Amino acid sequence: MLFNRPFLAPFAFALRNMRQRMGRTLLTGLGIALGVAVVLSIEITNVSTLDTINTVFNLAAGEANLLVSTDNLLAGMGETLPEELVDRMAAFEEVELATPTLRVNTLLASEASEWELEIGFTGAAAGTILQLYGVDVVRDPELRVYKFTAGRLPSPDAYEAVLPADYAAEKDLALGDDLVLLVPGSGVARLEVVGLLASEGVALFNNGVVAVAPLSVVQELFNHRGEIDEVGLKIVPAIASDPDALDALKDRLEERVGRNARVIYPAARGQLVSRMLASFQAGLQLFSGIAIFVGTFLIYNTFSMTVVERTREIGMMRAIGMNRWHVLGLVMVEASILAVAGSAVGLVFGVVQARALMLVTGAFLAAGDAVITVTPQALLQSLFVGIVITLGAALFPAYQATRISPLEALRARAQTGEKVRPAVWVTGLVMLALGLANIYVIPYRASVYFNILQGSVLLILAGATLTVPLVVKALEGAARPWVRRLYGGEGALGSANVQRSVGRTTLTVAAMIVALAMIVGIGSISISFEDDFTSWINASLGGDLYVTSPVKLRQSFLGQLATVEGVEAATPARFHIVQVAARSLPPETADDDDTVYFVAIEPETYRQVSSVEFTSNQGDPEANWQALAGGDAVFLSSQLAETYNLNQGDTIWLKTRRGEKPFRVAGVIVDFFAQGQTITGTYRDLGAYFSEDGADRITVKVAEGYTIDEVSQRIKDRYGEQRNLNVQTTTSFKAQIQGLLDQSLALFDVLSLIGVVIGSLGVVNTLTMNVIERRREIGGLRSLGMTRNQIVRMVLAEAFSLGLMGALYGLGFGFVLAQVMIQSMNSMSGYDLEFVFSPTPFLVGLALAAGISQLAALAPARRGAALNIVEAIKHE
Amino acid sequence: MTEPSTDVLLRAERVTKTYQMGSVEVDALRAVDFEVRRGEFVAIMGPSGSGKSTLLHLLGGLDQPSEGEITLAGQPLSQLTDDEITTVRRRKVGFIFQFYNLLPTLSAQENIALPLVIDGENVGLHTARLNTLIDLVGLTDRGDHRPDQLSGGQQQRVAIARAFINQPEIVLADEPTGNLDSRTGTAILELLQRTCREMQATILMVTHDARAASYADRVVFLKDGQVVHHLGENGKGNSVEAIMDVMAGLEL
Ligand SMILES: Nc1ncnc2c1ncn2[C@@H]1O[C@H](COP(=O)(O)OP(=O)(O)O)[C@@H](O)[C@H]1O
Ligand SMILES: [Mg+2]
Repeated sequence: MLFNRPFLAPFAFALRNMRQRMGRTLLTGLGIALGVAVVLSIEITNVSTLDTINTVFNLAAGEANLLVSTDNLLAGMGETLPEELVDRMAAFEEVELATPTLRVNTLLASEASEWELEIGFTGAAAGTILQLYGVDVVRDPELRVYKFTAGRLPSPDAYEAVLPADYAAEKDLALGDDLVLLVPGSGVARLEVVGLLASEGVALFNNGVVAVAPLSVVQELFNHRGEIDEVGLKIVPAIASDPDALDALKDRLEERVGRNARVIYPAARGQLVSRMLASFQAGLQLFSGIAIFVGTFLIYNTFSMTVVERTREIGMMRAIGMNRWHVLGLVMVEASILAVAGSAVGLVFGVVQARALMLVTGAFLAAGDAVITVTPQALLQSLFVGIVITLGAALFPAYQATRISPLEALRARAQTGEKVRPAVWVTGLVMLALGLANIYVIPYRASVYFNILQGSVLLILAGATLTVPLVVKALEGAARPWVRRLYGGEGALGSANVQRSVGRTTLTVAAMIVALAMIVGIGSISISFEDDFTSWINASLGGDLYVTSPVKLRQSFLGQLATVEGVEAATPARFHIVQVAARSLPPETADDDDTVYFVAIEPETYRQVSSVEFTSNQGDPEANWQALAGGDAVFLSSQLAETYNLNQGDTIWLKTRRGEKPFRVAGVIVDFFAQGQTITGTYRDLGAYFSEDGADRITVKVAEGYTIDEVSQRIKDRYGEQRNLNVQTTTSFKAQIQGLLDQSLALFDVLSLIGVVIGSLGVVNTLTMNVIERRREIGGLRSLGMTRNQIVRMVLAEAFSLGLMGALYGLGFGFVLAQVMIQSMNSMSGYDLEFVFSPTPFLVGLALAAGISQLAALAPARRGAALNIVEAIKHE
Repeated sequence: MTEPSTDVLLRAERVTKTYQMGSVEVDALRAVDFEVRRGEFVAIMGPSGSGKSTLLHLLGGLDQPSEGEITLAGQPLSQLTDDEITTVRRRKVGFIFQFYNLLPTLSAQENIALPLVIDGENVGLHTARLNTLIDLVGLTDRGDHRPDQLSGGQQQRVAIARAFINQPEIVLADEPTGNLDSRTGTAILELLQRTCREMQATILMVTHDARAASYADRVVFLKDGQVVHHLGENGKGNSVEAIMDVMAGLEL
C-alpha cells in the first residue's frame, strides 16, 4: 500500500509512473547509460593509454628510483655508455645498488626469413623482435622480478639464458635446449636455456618476447665490449621517499655521468610516446563533450514528454492540495532513480566500450596487449557526470510541471499551442553568429585556439538548435509535397504533424544534427587525412625496396648494396633520438625533456630514390636541399615547426655530444613518421654531433630493365642469410602503413556508430511520445477508415520530414564541424591538414538520415497501427 | 418524412461481448438481436454502462463480438479481414463521437475532407460535395478555422459533415450531444435529422438523453447488455414523455 510509509510515497509514485511507461523509461535509461559509457570509456582509454606506456617503461626500470641512460630514450635504437659508470654510481653512498643493462634487438635464427619490419605510429618496433637483455645476473634480481617456473639464473659469463616459460613453450624450447640467435656480422650464437620464467616482472618485457643473459656474453656477441646502455639505481629509502632529496641527488649524480649520459626518472621515457598520442586523445575528449551534450538533450526531451503527458494528472494532484514543491519533487525523484540506475549501467557499458577502444589504441602504441586501467576516480567522475546531467536536464521540465495550474485537470483536453518566443531564436542566431565568427573570422592565439574551437562547436550546435523553431514551418512546408508523393495523403498528414510540437521537433532535429555532424565530420576528416597521408606516402616513401635488419646496418654495407646488379641507387636512413635544447622551446612548454627523432639521410643519394614534400611557402626546393646538404641545417616537420614556432631560416638548438648546437631550419616538410616528431638532417651532422653512423633502413631504387622482385631476390640471395636482412617492396610497406591508418580510422567509424545510435534514439523517443500522445487521434483516424498500413505510413512520413530537417541542419553543421576538427587537430599537433571536400560523407549522411528516421520510426509506427481503436477513442 | 424501405442495412444476430477484467468476466452485451433498415433514424437508449457504446463499436467494425454475427450492407463482418473491415468503414460508415475527435492541425474544411484523403481521393474533384456539406452544417464562413477556433457545437458540425462526406450507407453517432448545452444540442439533432432526410442516409445514434432520442424514428432500449424494449416500431416518432417513462422503468 502506497500510503503506509509516507516518506517513501514519492518513490513509490515515481516507480509506478516509470513502470507504466516502461518503454520510455528503458529508452531514457539507455540514453543515460550510453552517455555515461562514452564519457567513461574515453576517460579509461586515455588513462589506460598513458598507463600502458608507463607500464612498458616502468617494467623495464624495475625498482630503480633513477636511471642512468643515454640520450636514447627508446630501446634498441642508439648509442651506449661505458660500463665503468656502474662503479662510479655505486660509489655514492646514497646509491644502494647500481646494476647495468645492455639491451639488443635480435631474432630467433629460425624466424629470420619471415621477419617483417613492423612499424607503429610511435615509430617503435614491436612484434616478433626478440629483446635480449644483458644484465649483471647476480645483482639484477634485486632490482627486477625474476620468478622461475623451472631452472635457475644463468651463471656469470656462461653462454646461458633464461626465457619466459610461455615464449619458450611457443617456440618449443625446453630447459637444456639451445636458444639460437642472430648476431651481427655473420652467423648465429647459441645460448643454453637454463631457466624459465612465470609471466611476471622481467618475463613481461617486450610483450614476453625477451631473453636474459649475462652482460659479458651479450657484450661479446653483439660487439659491445665494455658498453652498456643503462644503469638502474636503487636509492636508500630515506632519500627515495623524499622527492626533493631525490631530485637533488639526481642533479649531483648527473654531474658525474659525463656528457652523453643523463640521469632520469624512470617515468620520463613514456613522454615522447605520450606526446605523440596527445592529439588523438584530444579528439576523443571532444567526442566525450558531444556525448554529454546529446545526453542532456535526450533526457530533457524525455522529461518534457512525461510532464506534457501527465499534465492532467498533475493538475489533479494540485487540485487536491499538492503544492509546487511536491510536484517538483515528484519529477525529480523520478529523475534521480533514472540517473542512478542509468549511470550505473553506463559504467558497465563504459568498461566494455573502453576495451574496444583500447584495441585500436593498442595498434597505435604497437605495444601489444594494452592494460585497461579502471580507476575509482574515472568511475566516480562518470557516475557524477551522469547523475548531474540527468538531474540538470530534468530540472526545467520539473519546473514547468510546477507551473501547471489545477485548472488543467478540468479541461477535456490539454491543447496547449506552443509559441516560441522570439528571444529563443534570436539567442540562437546570436550564438550561431558568435560561434562561426570564432572559427572563421577572429584570429586567436594558437595556445587558446583549440579550446576556443571546441567551445565554438558547442555554441554553434546550441545556436543552430535554437533556430530550428524559426524554420520548422517553412521547412515542413517545403518537404510536404515530396512526402505526399512518397507516402500519399496520409503522408502529408504525418508531415504536418511535425509542426505540432515545435519543441519536440527541435529536440529531435538537434539529435539528428549531432548524429549527422558526427558522421559527416568524421567522414570528411578521414578523407582529408587519408588524402594528405597518401600524398605523403607517395612523396616521401620513394624507392622500390626497403632493406632493413633487426640489427643496425653498417655504413660499409651500403657500398656493397650499390654494386648489386639492378640497383640503380641506394640511400640510408638512421633514426636517432635527440633532445631539443630548452632555448628553442616556447616558454610555456619549457620542460627540459623534449625528445624527438633526428632522421639522418644522405641528401644526394636520398634524392635519387625519394623526395620530401615541403609545406607551402618554402621557396625553391633546390635551394632548401642545398642548404641542408651544406650541414648544420635540418628540415623540420610541420608539427615541430608549429610546436616550436619556428619557420624556414630560423634556428633550432639541439643537445649534441658537443653541447648545445644551432641548426638552421632549411625547410618545413610534411612528415607523418612518428607523428611528425622528427627533424631531418644529414649523416654528416649525425656523425659530427652525435657520433653515430649505420642505417636502420636502406631504400633502394631499381634500375630500368630490372623487375623489383628480381632485384629483391638477388639482394636476399647475396646478403640475406649473412646479414639477417629483410627486403620489402615499397608497395607492401605502403600497404602496411595504409593498413595501420585504416585501423585507426576504424575507431572513427565506431564513433560514427555512436552518432547513429544517438540520432535513432532521438527519433524513436519523439515518435513514441507522439504516438502515445495521439492515441485518441489515431483511434479516430482508424474509425474514419484508415488502415493499419496507412497509420504506419503516416508515422513514417512524419519521421521522414524530421529526418529531412535534421539532414539539412546536420549536413551544414557537419561541414563546419569537419573544418573545426581539422583546424583543432592542426593547432594541437601541428599537422598541416587541408580540408578536402568530398561529397561522399554528405551523401552517406543523407542516406543515413533517411535510414535512421525510417528505421527508428518503425517501432512507434507499428505501435500506432496496433492500437485498439475502441480503447484509443475511449482514452481520455 | 420518407417511408423507410424494408431492406435491412445492418443486422446484429445473437451478439455477445465479454470483457475479461482480470479473473472476472464482464458481459457488456448478451445475445443482442437488432436490425437497422435503410433510411431509418434509430436511437439506442439505456442507462450508463448498459452496453450502448459497445454495441455501436461492434456495429461499426471497430471491435469484434465474442459471439454472434454482424452483417453490414450484406457483408458478414466476421468473414472479413481487418483491412477489409477498415475499407467497409471508410466507404460505408460515418462516425460521430461525443468529443468530436477532430485533428487539431487541420482546418474545418480539411477535417471534413479527411475521409477522402484517407481513401486516396483527389479532394479537388469533390469540392462541390464538400461545399454542399459545409453549407448544410452552417459553416460556410468558418471553413478555414482550426478546431481550437471553433465552439463545441461548431466542432460537432464539422464532425457531422465529415461523417457524411463519403456518402456512407450509415452514420453511427455516440452521444453526439453529450458534450453540448441543450440549445446547441437541439440544433445538432435537427441538423442530423435534416441531413438524414436530404442525403437519404441511415442514422444510428446512441444517447441517454430522452429528448435526443425523440428525434429518432425508432428507439431501442438496452439494459445490462440486453435489448429490453422498443418504441415506435411503426416508424413514427416518439414523444419525450413516452421515452422518459420507459427509461424511468429501466433505471429502477
Ligand atoms: N474495455 C473494457 N474492459 C472491460 N469492461 C468494459 C470495457 N469496455 C466496456 N466495459 C464494460 O462494459 C459495459 C458496457 O460499457 P459501455 O458500452 O461503454 O456502456 P455505455 O456506453 O452504455 O455507457 C460496462 O459495464 C463497462 O464497464
Ligand atoms: Mg458510452
